[in-house]
Amino acid sequence: MKEQNKNKVRRKKGSLKQKEALMGYLFILPWLIGVLIFVLRPLVQSFGFALSKVKMTPKGRISTFIGLQNFTQILQEDETFPTELGAYLIKTIIAVPVIVVFALIIALLLNSKIKGKGVFRLIFFLPVIIASGPVMTQLVDQGAGSIPSINTSAISSMISFLPGILEDAIMSVFENIVMYLWYSGVQILIFLAAVQKIDTSLYEAAKMDGGSTWECFWKITLPTIKPMILLNAVYTVVFLSNNEQNTIITTIKDAMFGTTGSKGYGYASAMAWLYALVVTLLVAAVAAFLVMKKDVYQKQAKKVRKAQKKEERLLKKLERRGEKYEQQKLKKAAR
Amino acid sequence: MAGYKGSNINPKKFERGQIKLIIAVLPLALFMVLPIVFIVCHAFKPMEELFAFPPRFLVTRPTLDNFRGLMKASQTSGIPLSRYAFNSVMVTLIDVVLSIILSTSAGFALSKMRFKGKNMLMEINNAALMFVPVAVMIPRYLVINTLGLTNNPLAHVLPLVAMPVSLFLVKQFIDQIPDALIDAAYIDGATDFTVYRKIIFPLVKPAIATSAILAFQQVWTNVESSNLYMNEDGLRTLAFYMNTLTNANNTVAGQGIAAAATLIMFVPNLVMFIFCQKSIMNTMAHSGIK
Repeated sequence: MKEQNKNKVRRKKGSLKQKEALMGYLFILPWLIGVLIFVLRPLVQSFGFALSKVKMTPKGRISTFIGLQNFTQILQEDETFPTELGAYLIKTIIAVPVIVVFALIIALLLNSKIKGKGVFRLIFFLPVIIASGPVMTQLVDQGAGSIPSINTSAISSMISFLPGILEDAIMSVFENIVMYLWYSGVQILIFLAAVQKIDTSLYEAAKMDGGSTWECFWKITLPTIKPMILLNAVYTVVFLSNNEQNTIITTIKDAMFGTTGSKGYGYASAMAWLYALVVTLLVAAVAAFLVMKKDVYQKQAKKVRKAQKKEERLLKKLERRGEKYEQQKLKKAAR
Repeated sequence: MAGYKGSNINPKKFERGQIKLIIAVLPLALFMVLPIVFIVCHAFKPMEELFAFPPRFLVTRPTLDNFRGLMKASQTSGIPLSRYAFNSVMVTLIDVVLSIILSTSAGFALSKMRFKGKNMLMEINNAALMFVPVAVMIPRYLVINTLGLTNNPLAHVLPLVAMPVSLFLVKQFIDQIPDALIDAAYIDGATDFTVYRKIIFPLVKPAIATSAILAFQQVWTNVESSNLYMNEDGLRTLAFYMNTLTNANNTVAGQGIAAAATLIMFVPNLVMFIFCQKSIMNTMAHSGIK
């Protein structure tokens, strides 16, 4: 409210920038209200719970502040949660490239000249609408998530030189490979939208200069859809983390509401926050990995800008020194 | 390569060059269809096939027994099935429309407008993205309670309207729209609202359709709101009802009913999806982005 008033007053001055800012706030306001009330406030409150011991009594809930005790208890005393967290981390790191690369391949295939493109597109996106929910659980229970003809023992003996936790993670990727295919519907759609927007004349020019299809892919397609790769990678991480198939979610839920495994609401909240922290770190790592690779032109531009700044600084330094020198001179003259 | 000529992107004739592509795509496509085949088959399986070991994927002797069981179970309860269905449809419709409007307008503002705190807001959204929904269940209930929204149909809709995932998706797509396109519109005298309606909205339709599907799914299968915020049976949704049916009869007979209920819950998803799919395909051909 205060913010709005401020803007109104400023707007009378007729500054274009202020007017634009006001429009910005106007467009974002409905969403902001929704997030503040139903996302942010509960988040803050759950952080409060994570820092305290919460008891549910018939009279209401009693929470006493205990600081970071919940977190230290999880990290030091909990037998399963930290290991589960580690397993999740490795599994996701392996699964994300698999899903993204698969989605990219499918998108490129669907984008090439093929009959019945619409039908294929429909089929590849279909699993998205059931990827969450009880159907998935049933399917996994029935063992439909893996390709039966893949000889798992052969693979496991092949990668047995790896440390145990890594081997387990790779095996789980092979076991759930079909499920990962099902998860990639949204990613395929995003890639497809990006690939179709690439100007055809670029490819034509490349063909004229004698570029092969393989080169076209690496030099035109991939750089153009780079922002979408980042988007897909982040989306995949988030999807995999908040998926119902994820065992950590079940663990947290049990700790929160379960009758036998219940460890108190505060403890479970702390678990959830710890998990969110790990997911955030993972997303940041993925983003950093994908953003890091700038192309040559950008690198050179950065270099030039850096050199320019250095020069400016040097000039300023010299100027200051000159001033000092002159001042000293003046002082000496005054004496 | 990657060419489109108007709306006929599909080649008209079958050429020999397509064979290798079809060989590559077809097996993958078969795997993608598996879950749908499974749902349909499961719903028509008679009792002994549902519990067959090892479980079989396809149905050999289809029956309508499961659907009959579902009808019988719904007749015994006090509130007609149509009431739940109506609630579900209304809630889903409102939520999908609202969340699309919210995420596109917010995405537009965050991507193309300049104002203070813009980056911070995006960071907040991204942080909310990482969070497990289970953890905010109780605080969310407290919020609903303080607002006095228990037993109010709005409680189904409001908590899910601001979807961080869809804002993230839409914003990334809007980032791809060149500023020149928008500046040209401003020079021609368009207001912010016109730009939003005539440029942003049509150009990010693929993202909108995707987030619409996601929003639809989220609301359609949401049991939590009926469970926690509604005390009257008449205000609860179809998803909740199907859930109680399968939970209440969670014996041998319940399995068949559950399979039938899953199929019924799944059909609107399919319809929604096919509807959205069309809009995605149409935009690809006309978008002015180069």
